[in-house]
Amino acid sequence: MAKVKVVTRILEANERIAAENRKVFDEAGVYVINLMSAPGAGKTSLLEKTIEGLSKRLNIAVIEGDIAGTQDAERIGNLGIPVIQINTGGACHLDANMINEVLEELPLKEVDLLFIENVGNLVCPAEFNIGEDIKVMLLSITEGDDKPLKYPLMFQESSALILNKMDILPYTNVDINKIRNDASSLNPVIKIFEISCKTGGGMSEWTDWLVKAKVSNQRSAGSEKLNTDS
Amino acid sequence: MHEVSIALSMLDIAAEKCRESGYNKIDSIRLKIGRASGVMTDALIFAFDVVKTDTIASGASVIIDEIPVSGSCKDCGRDFVAEDTYVLCCPRCGGMAFMINTGRELEILDMEVS
Repeated sequence: MAKVKVVTRILEANERIAAENRKVFDEAGVYVINLMSAPGAGKTSLLEKTIEGLSKRLNIAVIEGDIAGTQDAERIGNLGIPVIQINTGGACHLDANMINEVLEELPLKEVDLLFIENVGNLVCPAEFNIGEDIKVMLLSITEGDDKPLKYPLMFQESSALILNKMDILPYTNVDINKIRNDASSLNPVIKIFEISCKTGGGMSEWTDWLVKAKVSNQRSAGSEKLNTDS
Repeated sequence: MHEVSIALSMLDIAAEKCRESGYNKIDSIRLKIGRASGVMTDALIFAFDVVKTDTIASGASVIIDEIPVSGSCKDCGRDFVAEDTYVLCCPRCGGMAFMINTGRELEILDMEVS
């Protein structure tokens, strides 16, 4: 019997493909947002409202990830923007390879912002990079103020946390300050937005931030590329 | 929740490395898994037992080195090893300005082959 040194990260294959995806996105000048939340938090509603607010300024495309069905892609398709539905067929998250396989179907050169709506799940999507520039997490306030401490990784990995369904806050006993404090303890630089997809409240703060994030990414594109290649 | 896909990646990496080294049977695989990696070790071993069937790793056992969550605090300047999976503040001084150094590992360290 012989001993063989391996010292390889088990998810290395995923990381490698994620880096390839990122390179394709960077070369095409596409800013990519990996949108994650529990099922029913309002990811597709957020996309509808965001597209409504930004489609005059930016060209947007969407990749929808679901275990089954095409309802989300149909909703986004109704807005007249390019959309691709990925059905994971049971898998609890999107991985880099699933994204890689559909890249050719998108007119990336004409796209400024690409939203990738991950499978509704607060656990696994946070563990797989898919080549995104930023991860954004959506939490509907009815899910409860205990979620940051129960599902810490997603809060740690996300650049922004969007609290949705703020219009029904008066009918709940959710402590928004607790969510804010716990999320900020887990991730001191996380940017937090309070919105309602139903009323449109708070949407412009989120979309303004997103546009700024994209612009500052363009400015630092040279150094970003170095990071990807290293 | 995705331990099967991790077990499959693990099998691919180990089988390739085994053949590269000129052997055709994997006897054991040693992993380094951080406590905050999100992987349930029991579920991973169970998944690996299923996916290794009829492969060069069919007789392979899995040995896991569990790595605790550790970090260093900028407020008090000390290093710490955390009891919990996640660290919200420095366990020594309660400060928020800390860096996590270990705990997210998910690696194959080495293996025995024949």
